[in-house]
Amino acid sequence: MENRWIPIGRMTDDKDVLRDVWFGRIPTCFTLYQDEITEREAEPYYLLLPRISYLMLVTDKVKKHFQKVMRQEDVTEIWFEYEGTPLKWHFPIGLLFDLHASNTALPWNITVHFKNFPEKDLLHCPSKDVIEAHFMACVKEADALKHKSQVINEMQKKDHKQLWMGLQNDKFDQFWAINRKLMEYPPEDSGFRYIPFRIYQVTTERPFIQKLFRPVATNGQLNTLGDLLKEVCPAAITPEDGEKKNQVMVHGIEPMLETPVQWLSEHMSYPDNFLHISIIPQPTD
Amino acid sequence: MSLNLDTEDDFYLEENRFKQCCAEFIKHSQQIGDGWEWKSIKDFPDGYMSKTHFQMKNGNTPSIFKDSTKESDEQTFTHVEEALDDSQVAGICATSEVIRYEYHVLYSSSYEVPVLYFRACFLDGRPLTLDEIWEGVHECYRARLLEGPWDTITQQEHPLLGQPFFVLHPCRTNEFMAPVLANSQRENRNINYITSWLSIVGPVVGLNLPLSYAKLVSEQNTKTD
Repeated sequence: MENRWIPIGRMTDDKDVLRDVWFGRIPTCFTLYQDEITEREAEPYYLLLPRISYLMLVTDKVKKHFQKVMRQEDVTEIWFEYEGTPLKWHFPIGLLFDLHASNTALPWNITVHFKNFPEKDLLHCPSKDVIEAHFMACVKEADALKHKSQVINEMQKKDHKQLWMGLQNDKFDQFWAINRKLMEYPPEDSGFRYIPFRIYQVTTERPFIQKLFRPVATNGQLNTLGDLLKEVCPAAITPEDGEKKNQVMVHGIEPMLETPVQWLSEHMSYPDNFLHISIIPQPTD
Repeated sequence: MSLNLDTEDDFYLEENRFKQCCAEFIKHSQQIGDGWEWKSIKDFPDGYMSKTHFQMKNGNTPSIFKDSTKESDEQTFTHVEEALDDSQVAGICATSEVIRYEYHVLYSSSYEVPVLYFRACFLDGRPLTLDEIWEGVHECYRARLLEGPWDTITQQEHPLLGQPFFVLHPCRTNEFMAPVLANSQRENRNINYITSWLSIVGPVVGLNLPLSYAKLVSEQNTKTD
């Protein structure tokens, strides 16, 4: 399932790409942190996580499973960690995996905690409303970039709700019935006003790089992924005669650098309408 | 509909203008000892304006901080220069709950407006919860803030530091700034966007500006007339 190449540039039905992105899954094994106090031994819990969703939205069963072996009073706010790094639930799951674990063997091994919530690293998530608010804030920001917020502001509250419910209930058609409007642009233009994207690297304190970037150059040519990186994160590009040091990854694959960013934005954005791009070290095997 | 957007266009704050306004703002802050400073990010051209102040849980300034030689224009003049360090503050106010507020003004390129980020913690490092933050918001603002989910205070990751902060959502900024800016254009007055903006959003979260910021701008106007 991982490292599969989508033949961009061939006569692939673009709608297949949308479905492939939506239905991507990561086999995950959840293990309770050894210092948590349990009444009996906690078995690990296996789950297929949707790449496009958020940890706190899809782990109710995980919480219930471990609560069964713990005392009520020891169960406070759940949080997740991978190899010592607290996992930011407000990042989509696919982004977290690509960034931290894409070149390691499956299943993805996540550790579950109920104590010592890392206040300095993680946002609190007291209810699903917080996830919805975060998700909608991202959708809104993406539309500010694409359409000066015109499309999102013209929608009714029920349309916004439909986006959220589509994501929460894993309903591709319900979601895209509304989302397709956010992917349109005026016929006289060649694309969106600016492309909503964020570039992530584990090596920086700064959580991501986000800048204004137009999909079309002044000469009318479509800007590519390579053009985007050259402008925003030049260190990620392999020099002409140099060795490839990094992978530029979206949804577990490395799109060709010649891919137009307008196409990527329309087809490989996450449900929040952002392209979340990971720059990770090239594996050395 | 598109007509409105065109006129609102003139009032978006471009990034270089943002930096300029902050520089002027900080210059005045230094003159009056208001504690604002500019922080840069290593290896990037980005930066933000930052200020820290201390406040008692009941909303009063710890008495040691009130400077009797200064005129107190406003009763809510509660900020203080960070001349005392945390341990000195703790020693002075041992029996009271002192809260350390940190305010950051960042630029949002998505909305082309400034955004206010803030966090608060007790002196022992314990951060305030969202409920405790709400307690500090004046009643007259609470109802308005609760009207729309995108207008409320939410916890978010600081885009430059990567740590949890509270944020006043920026998507409506242009709505309330447009009339202020339109007015100043009509009257041929130059105003500092940051000063106007911060004087509107700041008080909502306990941040007040001394009146001298406004006096500074109008002095500049009379000089150029």
